[in-house]
Amino acid sequence: MRFVIRRLLLFVVALFGISVVVFAALRILPGDVASIMAGINAPASRVAQLREQLGLNRPLVAQYFDWMGALVTGDFGTSILTGRSVTALIGARASITFPLIIVGLLIAMLIGLPLGCAAVLARSPRVRMAFHVLAIIGGSVPALWGGLLLILLFGKGVGLVGILPSQGFPLDGWGEPVGAMLSLILPAFTVGIIVGASLMRYTRAALGDLANSGYIDMARSCGMTRTQAVLRVGLRLAMPQLVSVIGLTFASMVTGVMVIENLFALPGIGNGLVTDVGNRDLIAVQSELFLLAAFFLTIGLIVDVLHRLLDPRLKNASGVSEVSA
Amino acid sequence: MSNNTQITVSHNDGGRLRYGFAGRAAIVLKTMWRRGEGKFTLIVLALWLVVALISLIWTPQSLWATDGYHVWAKPSASHWLGTDGTGADVFSWLMAGSRTNLLIVVLTVAFSALWGLLLVSAMVARASALASASVVVIDALISIPTVLLALILAVPLGASITVIVIACGFGYGLNLARVARPSALLAARSSYVESALANGASGWRILVSHIIPNIVPVLAVQLSLSAGTAVLAESGLTYLGIGVPSGMPSWGHSLATSVKLINVFPLTVLWPGLVVTVVVVALNIFGDVLRDAIDPVTNPALRQTAASAEKEDER
Repeated sequence: MRFVIRRLLLFVVALFGISVVVFAALRILPGDVASIMAGINAPASRVAQLREQLGLNRPLVAQYFDWMGALVTGDFGTSILTGRSVTALIGARASITFPLIIVGLLIAMLIGLPLGCAAVLARSPRVRMAFHVLAIIGGSVPALWGGLLLILLFGKGVGLVGILPSQGFPLDGWGEPVGAMLSLILPAFTVGIIVGASLMRYTRAALGDLANSGYIDMARSCGMTRTQAVLRVGLRLAMPQLVSVIGLTFASMVTGVMVIENLFALPGIGNGLVTDVGNRDLIAVQSELFLLAAFFLTIGLIVDVLHRLLDPRLKNASGVSEVSA
Repeated sequence: MSNNTQITVSHNDGGRLRYGFAGRAAIVLKTMWRRGEGKFTLIVLALWLVVALISLIWTPQSLWATDGYHVWAKPSASHWLGTDGTGADVFSWLMAGSRTNLLIVVLTVAFSALWGLLLVSAMVARASALASASVVVIDALISIPTVLLALILAVPLGASITVIVIACGFGYGLNLARVARPSALLAARSSYVESALANGASGWRILVSHIIPNIVPVLAVQLSLSAGTAVLAESGLTYLGIGVPSGMPSWGHSLATSVKLINVFPLTVLWPGLVVTVVVVALNIFGDVLRDAIDPVTNPALRQTAASAEKEDER
């Protein structure tokens, strides 16, 4: 319980720190926010009006608390470019990004976990070497290039087996469910393969350490075969660690798929953020950056607490785990 | 058990081997070269260095010579890998890109090493408040992804190498500190550090001559993984327009320009991706091979020099 309280306190402090950093990053721009947002050729009156409208002529501290106060009541501001509320923008984008990363993560787990286990169980040095090479190459392919290769293989119009739409998302979005799902297949596989390779490495490392431990020796002396011992005892012991890795991977995928969203022309969260930064839609950028950071910190918090719940060995340890000599 | 005694021996004279830095580096390289994957990674990395240096004075075609009559040309004698949409030579741009990527990787690794070591020394500090605070802060910050940090930095800085180096180096440093902590802590609580303290050694001296030598294997692996990830991050961030500024050659730039017309000229995209993949594979393997070669525990050749140095001392 003390751990949870300390972790929560830290979460609040980190959230505050990030909000200050994001706020400051937008205020130390050369020139001021209003003139950048209004554009190069905007008349002085437009800049002044914008400054007034956004409250930019007030002191910085007051601006910061205005922004924070609005955030707390759920008002994330309005995008200057489109006039839509940032909440609506993020909602629309999340409806593409989240299905993409959830399917991508499922594919990654289907690839990474069994291959990781197999790499630990394999006896013959050649097979082990093959798994090793596979993991290294899978982790070395740039996401952009991996996506391109998949488009060249399966994309409609260019691919060798052109059966899947390679770019764009139906205009109606999920109003056109079949089209929407089809357009997510290639990007989801791109993410899945790349993340799967890293999951495979984590599984192999976590399980490999345990496979040489006393736990496994114990299980084997009780009559289990090595395979049984690794899969039943080892996997159970590696579970807390793997849950943490998968949780943090899930969080990092929200922005990690940015390049892939861009390549496949999907209007998701990451792609939208890059567009907004490019358009200097700074009020939207400020709230989006903060929300994303808050999301990552929240997942980090959940993962840490979950790890503790899943691993009884940590129960007696203090907040700072001691090294086991 | 005999292995254990060897470990203590090698640690004890780790700081004053007779063979200087160059001598030990030669032994490490020789040991790496003996393995198949070691040969591969050393050749690739040496090639990278050489090409980057050559590109400073010579490329087959000038970077800015655009051949308007041969846009998207196929590979030929004058354009070894063909040309891109402006008629610029793909091979020359890849060559020139290698120096930008080398610079980015070196800066990122240096930054993350310094930042990571700073955090490690905070985490093993004898002031327990500092130590536990830094562990907790690192745990909280580590969930912020590189791309997000790069975007925050890109708002005031625009597309620049600085954005890549700081965003990547910051996160990799956190990671390094987290991974290196157990072995650093083990060294910091060891009896030889205790006796060094009793002899009045300063905290700085203990860090340099006792803690760092003990985390060198971890550093080797983590830093070369970081180098590989930095190459990948460069291509992603540059593609998104927040990495290397346009007009400066880099592999990410080559990859991004070839993407635009993938529907019409699919094959141009193969080369930059292949270069990046091969280099990142080499960097990932480099760490593993280097760890085995640089650690006196796993590399007997380094222990022999220690032993022979001792014999010379006796004479």
